[in-house]
Amino acid sequence: MMQLLEFRERVKNFYQRYDVYLIPVMKFIFAFIAFQMINKEIGYDARIKSLPIVLAISLLSAFTPSAIMVLLAAIISVLHVYFISPILSIIVFVIIMILYLLFARYTPKQGYVLLAVPILFLLKIPYVMPILLGLVSTPVAMVPTSCGVIIYFLFQIIKTAVTKEINISIEEIVQLYTHVIDSLTGNRQMIMTIVVFALIIMVTYFIRKMSFDYAYEISILAGGLTTILGFLISYMVLNISNLILGMIFGTIVSIGIVYAIHFFRLTLDYSGVEYAQFEDDIYYYYVKAIPKISVTVPQVNVKRINTRGREFSEPDMDDTGEISDYSPDYESDYDYSDEDDSN
Amino acid sequence: MLNFKKVRLMTKIAVYEKKDGKEDIHLSKYYKTDYVRLQVLKSIISVTVGYGLIIAMILFYKMEYLVRNAITLDYKLIGTYILGFYLMVITLYGLGSFLGYSMKYDASRKKLSRYFKLLKRLEKVYNEGTRES
Repeated sequence: MMQLLEFRERVKNFYQRYDVYLIPVMKFIFAFIAFQMINKEIGYDARIKSLPIVLAISLLSAFTPSAIMVLLAAIISVLHVYFISPILSIIVFVIIMILYLLFARYTPKQGYVLLAVPILFLLKIPYVMPILLGLVSTPVAMVPTSCGVIIYFLFQIIKTAVTKEINISIEEIVQLYTHVIDSLTGNRQMIMTIVVFALIIMVTYFIRKMSFDYAYEISILAGGLTTILGFLISYMVLNISNLILGMIFGTIVSIGIVYAIHFFRLTLDYSGVEYAQFEDDIYYYYVKAIPKISVTVPQVNVKRINTRGREFSEPDMDDTGEISDYSPDYESDYDYSDEDDSN
Repeated sequence: MLNFKKVRLMTKIAVYEKKDGKEDIHLSKYYKTDYVRLQVLKSIISVTVGYGLIIAMILFYKMEYLVRNAITLDYKLIGTYILGFYLMVITLYGLGSFLGYSMKYDASRKKLSRYFKLLKRLEKVYNEGTRES
């Protein structure tokens, strides 16, 4: 454990020093994996599939907000489908538009979930997403997660639908369309997945919000347990037992991944170095603000009445006399109580 | 001479302006009613488009049936259904975005007031500095 903590400290230092470069590199890697997965799954158009283009768009999404990456992925997917069947691409486009207009536009900060869920499905570990979102977000995250699940199953259907021979006659088009809609709305596995994912988010979220020691770790485990139980039941009901082993294995891997993220998250999240530039009448300032805190674990103080010898940490005060907010929520405030390198 | 107290304040302000502040300051340009009304309008428009697409998909799905029974269909009933559902959806989304965006505006105001407090403190530091020199 000591070595792990040391390792984390080292990662933290590394991150603090190079975060300007690290974030684009990480985004580039994620984008590259995502686009490669899309190309592998529905790469019908060889032009978009070529490596220079994939590299170029990955590079583009490395330096732009994550919404651009999602948009690019949607455009590429529709173009791939368009190459093989314009009709299907229109259906995909319309469904994505409906999902966006009615649901996804209300959770702009979680747009990346729409892309991440299908990609993680392809990597066989989609369970990472609901557990993680329960951990870092609110139950509102159910909305983008459900949209992501729908998008994944939509493309699975599209994949089988493109194999059908199509002539350009109205009847064939209607038949194709009916087939896609039927298999989308009648897809019980999809509906079950949405329900179970929503359940996982709720369970993880509410357990993490409870105030006992190790609430976070327990909530991850509970999320994993909900995953296994939920999918076990849904697979039993649907009579698809061949997925069970993969699901259990995937859940265990997912729990591991989420735990690793959780282990590094607070350190990385709170140690983001800030660069600020400003001026007054006399100087220009280029300030690099390094947060002093080294919170390692979320501090859940359990107040026990009638027990002796328990100390409570005082809330930290910064020089302005405000109580700094160290709540372990993702969207919590930073405390820049000290600055270095001021010149 | 560097005034470290001032630098500290200014850094805080600058970092806030760079991150969360961007949106909060943007929001502060609106009155609450204006902002909420605009957002409600936006979501009503987007819901209308989305609803239209769904209706179009359903109509296309049922096209064979529609074409076959084009004469005997009760268009009035279909129209009422479409309109009724539309009104329901609009009300739901309108109310939801009204509540959601009101809460968002209030939250951003709260953060903004902290920011103004910092600014005021900075002003005080400035005034002290000019008095001394």
